[in-house]
Amino acid sequence: MDVTLALLALFSTIGLVFTYLAVSERDLVRAVIYSAVQSSAYAVLLYLLRAPDIVLVYLPVAVGLYPAALLFLIGKTEKVDGG
Amino acid sequence: MRRAIVLVSIAVSVALLAYATSVAGALGNLGLETRALAKMFLTLAYNPGLRELTAMSPEAVTAIVWDFRGVDTLYETVVFYMAITAALAIYRGAPKVGGGGVGLSLIVRVVTRLLIPINIAVAVSIAVHGHLTPGGGFQAGVALAVISVLLAVVYSAKSFGKVGVDESKVIALESAGFVAIAAVVFAPLIYSSVTGAQAYLMQNYVKANSEFSFPVEVLGQLISGTLIWFNVAEFLAVSFSFFIIFMLLSLREEVVRPALVGEESGS
Repeated sequence: MDVTLALLALFSTIGLVFTYLAVSERDLVRAVIYSAVQSSAYAVLLYLLRAPDIVLVYLPVAVGLYPAALLFLIGKTEKVDGG
Repeated sequence: MRRAIVLVSIAVSVALLAYATSVAGALGNLGLETRALAKMFLTLAYNPGLRELTAMSPEAVTAIVWDFRGVDTLYETVVFYMAITAALAIYRGAPKVGGGGVGLSLIVRVVTRLLIPINIAVAVSIAVHGHLTPGGGFQAGVALAVISVLLAVVYSAKSFGKVGVDESKVIALESAGFVAIAAVVFAPLIYSSVTGAQAYLMQNYVKANSEFSFPVEVLGQLISGTLIWFNVAEFLAVSFSFFIIFMLLSLREEVVRPALVGEESGS
């Protein structure tokens, strides 16, 4: 139980750090990669919280399909956030 | 200032989540206490003694998704189908996928070639074991759809034509999945109109006033009635829906634009 809590804390911290990096990054491609790392950390959290069904759908969507869709979109616009 | 707002909002939401999950016990002390509703589902998911109530599936999530709240999932699938159809309508008249690009380096292409069969095997096993182990049709579908992204990125868009994947085939397989779901839903109606006995749409097993039932086992293997058919059909529908979307997204803009603006510019 304590190991689970420690792992939960560790992976939610990793997720938090990469969320902040993804939000603050001006290079959109790097932001998508940070977002994928954050998703991987969240996948571990979902597994620890005993939701293996969600992990199975979350991994391909959040690490594969969603970054791919965003990268296709970024490919059609400018690479660096101008705002 | 903007940085400060971001940091404060992250800190506040993390504190709220931590409070909700630990002190306030929203998750029931991280799942240590089982609530009455959860107990009911766990009792009924696989229970040969209560044939009129059970879903006969040891995997409680699939039992809920395709049996206890099956109509809900059915309408989710319908919404998904309409969204995919709308996307296809936007891309109507777009040229065939192909042309341009050579893909990534040899190393990446060889590794990807080794990974694709593994990906297919994992996706199929998630689908056909969906009623036994965590997983199901949607999970398996998105796992398989990752192949379309790999093909588009690693081998370039023209690889779809090279490996014999073309749009009409993908749309045919996708539609076959949705038609199969409809067939399982309407099977009790056909049974009822042929025999005159009472049956309910989307019925899985015998009910108090209906004898209709899908087979629970085939050759000694548990298939959980409608659940395996729904999972396999949803697998086809979801995987090839995503497949066609990523095929279309991988088209280059200058190739697609003439077809998309064709009608309003009068050409």
